[in-house]
Amino acid sequence: MTTMTGTAIGEHEIAAFQALHKRVGDAVETALRGKREVVDLVLVAMFAGGHVLLEDVPGTGKTTLARAVAGALGGLSRRVQFTPDLLPSDVTGTSVYDPKSGQVGFRPGPVFANVVLADEINRAAAKTQSALLEVMEERTVTVDGVAHAVPDPFLVVATQNPIDLDGTYRLPEAQLDRFMLRTSIGYPDLDHELDVLRPGSGAGRIGTVPTVTNPHQVAECARRLATLHVADRILRYITELGTATRSDDRLRLGASTRGLRALVRCVQVYAASHGRHFAVPSDVQRLCAPVLAHRLVLTREAQLAGVTTAEVLADATARVEVPRPTPQ
Amino acid sequence: MTWLRAGWAVVLLAVAAFPLSAGWSGSGPWSLFAGAVVVAFGVVVQARRFRLTTGMTLVGAGAAALIGGYFVARGAIAGGPVEVLRDSVPRLLTSARPAPPTPDLLMPGVLLVFLVALVVAVSVAGEGRSLIGPPVGAVVLYAAGALVTAGRADGRGLVAVGVVALAAFGWVVVDRAESTRRVSLGPPGAVLAVLAAAALLAGVLPNRNAFEPRELVRPPVTDIAVSNPLPQLASWAAMADTELLRMRGPELPVRLVVLADYTGAAWQASSLYGPIGAVAPPDLPAGRRAHQADVELVVGALDGNWLPTVGRPVSTSLGDVMVDPDSGSLMLPRGMGPGLSYDVRGVVDRPNDDDLATAKVPTGDAIRRYLDLPGLPATLADYARQAVLNTSTPYEQAVALEQVVRLDRHPDAEAPVGSSYARIEQFLYGPLGDAGAAKGTAEQFATAFAVLGRAVGLPTRVVVGFQPVPEGPDGYRVIRGVDATAWPEVYFADWGWVPFDPVSGTDSGPSAASKREVLNRLASTTAQPTVPAKDGPPLVLPPEQAKSDAAQAKPQARHWLLLFPALPLSVLLVLACLRGARHSRLRRAGALGAWASVLDLLLLARRQPARHLTAPDIAALAPDSEQALRLAALADRAAFAPDQAGPDDSWRLAGQVRAGIRRLVPWYRRLFWAVDPRPLRRRW
Repeated sequence: MTTMTGTAIGEHEIAAFQALHKRVGDAVETALRGKREVVDLVLVAMFAGGHVLLEDVPGTGKTTLARAVAGALGGLSRRVQFTPDLLPSDVTGTSVYDPKSGQVGFRPGPVFANVVLADEINRAAAKTQSALLEVMEERTVTVDGVAHAVPDPFLVVATQNPIDLDGTYRLPEAQLDRFMLRTSIGYPDLDHELDVLRPGSGAGRIGTVPTVTNPHQVAECARRLATLHVADRILRYITELGTATRSDDRLRLGASTRGLRALVRCVQVYAASHGRHFAVPSDVQRLCAPVLAHRLVLTREAQLAGVTTAEVLADATARVEVPRPTPQ
Repeated sequence: MTWLRAGWAVVLLAVAAFPLSAGWSGSGPWSLFAGAVVVAFGVVVQARRFRLTTGMTLVGAGAAALIGGYFVARGAIAGGPVEVLRDSVPRLLTSARPAPPTPDLLMPGVLLVFLVALVVAVSVAGEGRSLIGPPVGAVVLYAAGALVTAGRADGRGLVAVGVVALAAFGWVVVDRAESTRRVSLGPPGAVLAVLAAAALLAGVLPNRNAFEPRELVRPPVTDIAVSNPLPQLASWAAMADTELLRMRGPELPVRLVVLADYTGAAWQASSLYGPIGAVAPPDLPAGRRAHQADVELVVGALDGNWLPTVGRPVSTSLGDVMVDPDSGSLMLPRGMGPGLSYDVRGVVDRPNDDDLATAKVPTGDAIRRYLDLPGLPATLADYARQAVLNTSTPYEQAVALEQVVRLDRHPDAEAPVGSSYARIEQFLYGPLGDAGAAKGTAEQFATAFAVLGRAVGLPTRVVVGFQPVPEGPDGYRVIRGVDATAWPEVYFADWGWVPFDPVSGTDSGPSAASKREVLNRLASTTAQPTVPAKDGPPLVLPPEQAKSDAAQAKPQARHWLLLFPALPLSVLLVLACLRGARHSRLRRAGALGAWASVLDLLLLARRQPARHLTAPDIAALAPDSEQALRLAALADRAAFAPDQAGPDDSWRLAGQVRAGIRRLVPWYRRLFWAVDPRPLRRRW
């Protein structure tokens, strides 16, 4: 990857990024087999400077995925198990008195890492959730009036169990909006599950994940990818998709402008990961559901009717005319 | 506007204006039109220099031209500016053809050329630097020329071919010279294809009876009470050596007046006359073999209102001449005087002997006037029937009648005048020794032939004029009183009016040899009909003639039948051209056009993709999906990348993908894909 310049990212930089993306993906896949698409989505969020919400049942590899990403990245990785009695300072850190020096100093919490695994985030109280989400947005922790910046890159992989909801605190819509994308891992297919079960398999062993890059290189890539070209017709298409969700009777809340900006950002990274220095409509369609679905709020009637936000998005995508590569 | 583009447009318009200039006599009008084109372009160049807007240029220069046109023509046409400008075209269409090149008659042509050139110049100078403006302007001028001359100016289409070649040349050369990008040969190719198709169609479509705009103009008609000049034959005979007029030109009979209406007592001349350029077509069409004759005539002792001419006059140098369109008789309302000199162009029917041998005569209302014999005595009818006994064709009937009228009868300037039935009966079979029996002037000879001819179904009329005379040493043919005569004419379908001469039997018209051949064949029956009894049987048309009338109706019906295949063929041709033009535009658009061409084919194959499917989605559904995916990637890059890719093989890939799509559809459903209009409705 070449160094950052003021111009738009070029084809040779894209080729270098694609190779890096492949190396990281391959490294993560040594621990999490058969889930390349999910891995790629997480990497999209990482290179786009966002965070990921993994919503899945226990035992599907959520923690493994987050730790494997951290391992491939070569940066610092922390895991926080969210419980009802977890305090905000347990996440962000706090000021403590040092009897040796006789001074009060800041002790960083687990959020001071490149990859933070927030396990079962919906089990913590709203106050603690808010503390984490504030760090996700601001990328700083302020204690006693002093701001402490978290490392760059900073990726929060939060997990939620959609099944066992007793004693949980549901994330409010405004805070869900802070996650760049939401996805689920799901169970592996038969061949990969056999591979995982086979004695001596390296699957799930974080220690086998090779470090293929470093935080500085990832941060530089993220900055350069923000300059990737997105044609006006693509931006108009994204806007029309957003408008279609806002006018859908089954939704109480459509896609926000922040959500559409996140979609553009992800589309940039996704296009680069496929070796292109420009975005195409199929990138938008591929990322539309992971980026927007968790930001939409169904009406009560739609919920009772069993409608999902993914279905609403699919309908909106089918309604909006895609920009075709034909002469204008 | 580059000089090359402007020069090409000027030359194109000047060439296209050439047929229009044939609407006026002389070569001056074309120079004037070419000058108008140059002036129009000069106006636009100056307007650009002064940064005038297109609207201001058009309105300003157009208004100036109209005002100028008004001032040029206001002396000749009464009324305000609107009336003067509005009436200038009908005035042109009712003038002689070609029109005299007077300023008031030239004005509408110059105005049209200037306005067209002005619009073309603006389009060429505009942002788009239109390449279609000059050819469109050329087509307008060419069409105007075709209308003014009823298609005669470019009968062989040479100028049309030149205009098309110039347009194609400009499309290729101008763009190549001004642009570095590749220039498609599609549009010129399409035009040449249209031209070739038009040439093919021209061979099967009827090319006669061209549209005549002058038929749309109702000319002013003047009812003039005129005298029958037949009685004057005797007086002219009396002044045998007096020079009545002189003529320079080919040896042709000079016609004074044509008499078509017979009352049973006398002949009557038409009394309704209009401007010579108004071509209410003659009631009976001219013959297929006709030639044009130009003569100069100088009036001597001849007086009256009838203006001598040759053939059927189509133009004259005199401006105030009126004409009877059916007969071609010229009338000068102010009267003639000694020394009056003028030129006349006339058309003379001249069929050959073979044409006449098998010629038919028409039927229907159009010839009723030329068969009308009110109160025809049965004796005359029976006499006529016996005269044509054993003849089998109209021409044989005419020759037989000519012989019967001439036999044993003598021209006599002193014989009693008159054209009534009684005088004709006396002339034909009155007791010898009685006044007027077997003796008469040309009036009786011609009338006897005409009446007998009508009695057997031949359309006839009588012409009063002067027989051809030899040329003198000064190049003039001096026509004297002794040359005055009258002769009958018979109308044959397709061949027009053919003169016969029952007086001497040696004049123009069918050759003496052919007449002799006919007479030899009919010798036993045409010698002398017996004098019939009174109140003979009523006259009926021979059955052969009724058959021939039905046979003549068929070719015209066949012409109309040709329109049935021609119309759909034309529609298909237009659709093919539009599709070809779309294909050319797509070819120029590179990968984007290649992908659009695949979408076109999917539409034709009824596999139109849903509107939300992206290019890779569509490609995955194509039969040759690997090539289609590569093409879709190239198209996506061309459409959404910030930079332009270099030359690619998108059209090669498109060809493979299209071939795959074609294989999915049976051949019979692909027959009309090339002319299917559905892709034209797509934006791209």
